[in-house]
Amino acid sequence: MIRFEILGDLASVTLARPEKRNALTPDMLESLAGVFDRMPDNIRAVVLSGDGPAFCAGFDLKICAADATGETMRCLLTGLSRTVRAMRAIGAPVVLAAHGAAVAGGCALLGGADIVVAERETRLGYPVVKIGVSPAVSAPFLTAMIPDGPARARLLDPELITADHALRIGLVHELADGPGATRERANDIARHLATKPGMGVAATKALLNDLARPRTDHADDALRASLALTGMDEERDRLTALWS
Amino acid sequence: MNDAALLEHNGPIATLTINRPDARNAMSLELLDAMHAAMEQLERDARGSHILVITGAGKAFCAGMDLKAVLVERSGDASIGKRLLTRLAELTVRLRALPLVTIASVNGAAIGGGCGLTCVCDLSITHADAKLGFPEVDLGLCPAVIAPWVVRKLGPGPARRALLMGGVMSGTEAHAIGLIDFLAGSRDELAGLTHDIATRLASGGPKALAATKSLLNRLDGSEDPQAVLRGAELSASVLATPEAQAALKSRMVK
Repeated sequence: MIRFEILGDLASVTLARPEKRNALTPDMLESLAGVFDRMPDNIRAVVLSGDGPAFCAGFDLKICAADATGETMRCLLTGLSRTVRAMRAIGAPVVLAAHGAAVAGGCALLGGADIVVAERETRLGYPVVKIGVSPAVSAPFLTAMIPDGPARARLLDPELITADHALRIGLVHELADGPGATRERANDIARHLATKPGMGVAATKALLNDLARPRTDHADDALRASLALTGMDEERDRLTALWS
Repeated sequence: MNDAALLEHNGPIATLTINRPDARNAMSLELLDAMHAAMEQLERDARGSHILVITGAGKAFCAGMDLKAVLVERSGDASIGKRLLTRLAELTVRLRALPLVTIASVNGAAIGGGCGLTCVCDLSITHADAKLGFPEVDLGLCPAVIAPWVVRKLGPGPARRALLMGGVMSGTEAHAIGLIDFLAGSRDELAGLTHDIATRLASGGPKALAATKSLLNRLDGSEDPQAVLRGAELSASVLATPEAQAALKSRMVK
């Protein structure tokens, strides 16, 4: 459900569960984090995109609701945190192409990207408080990208925002028309980044990661804050109510 | 102060002109020395000025580092890159700490370190056709000295895109991403707009402005110079790599 392709010094990582709007399962996040962990050193830029109608609708809530122990939700939160960190840790910049929806866990993936291109019709946000889940896990990475005011609003307000709004707050960096043009633009950016000489891009990415450390160093605390609520009554009641 | 930077006072508004027009105001050691001398003068006695406008003589605002100087093969001096970068790092820290409210009036090209200076200033003004940007990565370089200032000015997400993508943008684009605060319609209107904004700022109480600036510096981490000074070392080490020197050399040939 994760496709990994290499073309010369470019890598393409694709969420490939289109019939479920690329809803994330523990296995998918395990492979996704693994792909970034094992990214070959000669790769100069990576594009992350999604097949089908949406980039990513977030966690697969049906399997979460079916698991009364909360273990599935815990695996997803842990896998998400690991994936975002793995995206930031690789030397090559990550260009993310979002279309349709980048919601909840799907929106959180933007926190691992260096440059985000979004299709104009994309809806983005973190509506997870509605199901009793805390998006705390994403907070260090969201606040490492956008100012605190908009970050607070996005994590507490379950409403989704437009791509244009996301551009204004700095969560998205470019807009494109239609999913095809969005992926194409992301590929163009990746090719452009790959042509830069020497170690300038990798050194600059590492430096920017370093400057963001006052935020991202809280990644473990943030994950613990989200994990603390899993399997509790509020989450169980709201999750099961989704399918009743 | 040598004449590579000129400081003038006109009541509450001082103007610092980067004055190496033949070299598009590229930052040489001499130019950085002159800028430091101007900082020293303003720190000691601002002569009643509490607004500082920084602009460039001639067509460019500041074309960035003097590339001729940092090409080792040409200058025959392997240490000059690090000295220039360290001197620039110190200048940015000093400029940010000035109690005067600083305005970059970007008359033309503001490239690399030159564009970095606009981010250190409290406010920036340019016109639609100016060229601004951070093409360091295009030359295999890492803009580590100015990165902390760019992150503060643009916010981390947009700064990441600007610094990793390289290239240059128009004044209009720079205004759209928040790199520039005020945009004049044309180059001819820049001086007038700069004067209006400087005069408006000068109407504020000098103590109130200085206290506000000082607080903002404390809140956004500007008072800690370590990241900027470490940046000079990182930038210099990337500058010394064979790939960067080769890219610089091919740029000089063009």
